[in-house]
Amino acid sequence: MGRDILRNIQKDFLVEFRSRFALNVSASFAAIVTIAISLTAGGVPFPVPVQSILLWIVIFFSAMNGLSHIFVREEDQATALFLRISVSVDSIFISKFIFNQVFMVIILAVVTPLFLFFLQVQVQHVAYFIFSIMAGGFSIAAATTILAAMVAKAGGKGSLFTIISFPILLPVLWISISSTSAALSTPPPTGGNLLFLLAFSGFISVISFLLFRFVWLDD
Amino acid sequence: MKVIPTALKSVYLLVPVAIIMAFLWAPPAQVLGDASRILYFHVPLAWVSILAFIVAGIFSIAYLVDKKHTFTGLDEKAYNSAALGLAFTILTVIAGSIWAKISWGVFWNWDPRETSIVIILLIYIAYFSIQGAMASSENRGMVGSAYLILAMVTLPFFAFLVPRIYPSLHPDPIINADRKIFLDDQMRSTLAVAIVSFTMLYCYILHIMNRMMKLKKHIEEIYHDAD
Repeated sequence: MGRDILRNIQKDFLVEFRSRFALNVSASFAAIVTIAISLTAGGVPFPVPVQSILLWIVIFFSAMNGLSHIFVREEDQATALFLRISVSVDSIFISKFIFNQVFMVIILAVVTPLFLFFLQVQVQHVAYFIFSIMAGGFSIAAATTILAAMVAKAGGKGSLFTIISFPILLPVLWISISSTSAALSTPPPTGGNLLFLLAFSGFISVISFLLFRFVWLDD
Repeated sequence: MKVIPTALKSVYLLVPVAIIMAFLWAPPAQVLGDASRILYFHVPLAWVSILAFIVAGIFSIAYLVDKKHTFTGLDEKAYNSAALGLAFTILTVIAGSIWAKISWGVFWNWDPRETSIVIILLIYIAYFSIQGAMASSENRGMVGSAYLILAMVTLPFFAFLVPRIYPSLHPDPIINADRKIFLDDQMRSTLAVAIVSFTMLYCYILHIMNRMMKLKKHIEEIYHDAD
């Protein structure tokens, strides 16, 4: 199983970084939206809560542009059937889950510095800010792995991924916005929000793992 | 076999009784006056919205667990329950916003309970979006059921979160922490009858929808056999 997971991750990275389609789309989207916000604001800094909300809106939609690609590509290129018969369901889920987590880290690494640079964001608690961004990103990637498989099964249609992800990710977005606001404000933040995000990620990952076989395998 | 349909037919009596009690028998509330009568429709509608969601979730779990397909049409029953839930949720939002306008002067203000019902509405919309996108797919039932279960298990996180994010303007719960009931006996019994009648209405319509689904399948089988 371990070897299957590693092989699958390696394959996914090779295929993705050969075309860099999902990465290019997500990064370009993040850059365009961030620059558009900064340009329309005319260089005027936003209040802290607005900065956190905007940051997470950019992260959410950038992620929505790329995270479903991992499964949609398998269906588009007609490799899903081969994957189904050659690799166990659990290995596929774990490998795609890990790929999405790495992909999310890359998106965060692109979006966050851009946002800090263009919107003149002053981070008061750097370590807490990094943990908040990472924990929020981890939760988004954890929840969207199975949702990406569902969208792929539905033919990867347009904005379906965003529509089905939003209700599930709402708690993550709320808490991430709250913890990012805390990191940008002067009073020292508490760790409750980060714990919530980690608990949510763990819970949704386990449920997704259990449900994945019903989504992935044909009836 | 006839026990359930006969019991469900009580809806023909219960709903008119609930309407008469709400408009003619229950006294108006002290502050809101006759406008408070919307309580007897809004609360049962909200209750049925959540009940339909839970029933759809249970049917979905049963559908995924029942690998040998011992029970037929569980996914379609979940779909029917969700369809009813969506209708009741929209009615809850409409009734709630009318009440909010009368009580608070605005149609919408992201009160925790308003937020919760909108989240359920979004989940229903997402569920039907998946179902619509997979209309011709054999895996529609599996994927739809998995989504409903996933959405259902995240609800406790909302229950924990929403009250911490939005301050509530809603009236105190009918039964509060002191276990005291704020409604008088007439109002309380009207609300109870309304909740029971709306629940029976939901069960009745669900039963009809499920029967229609069964008949449709039966007709399709006859049609295919004839071919």
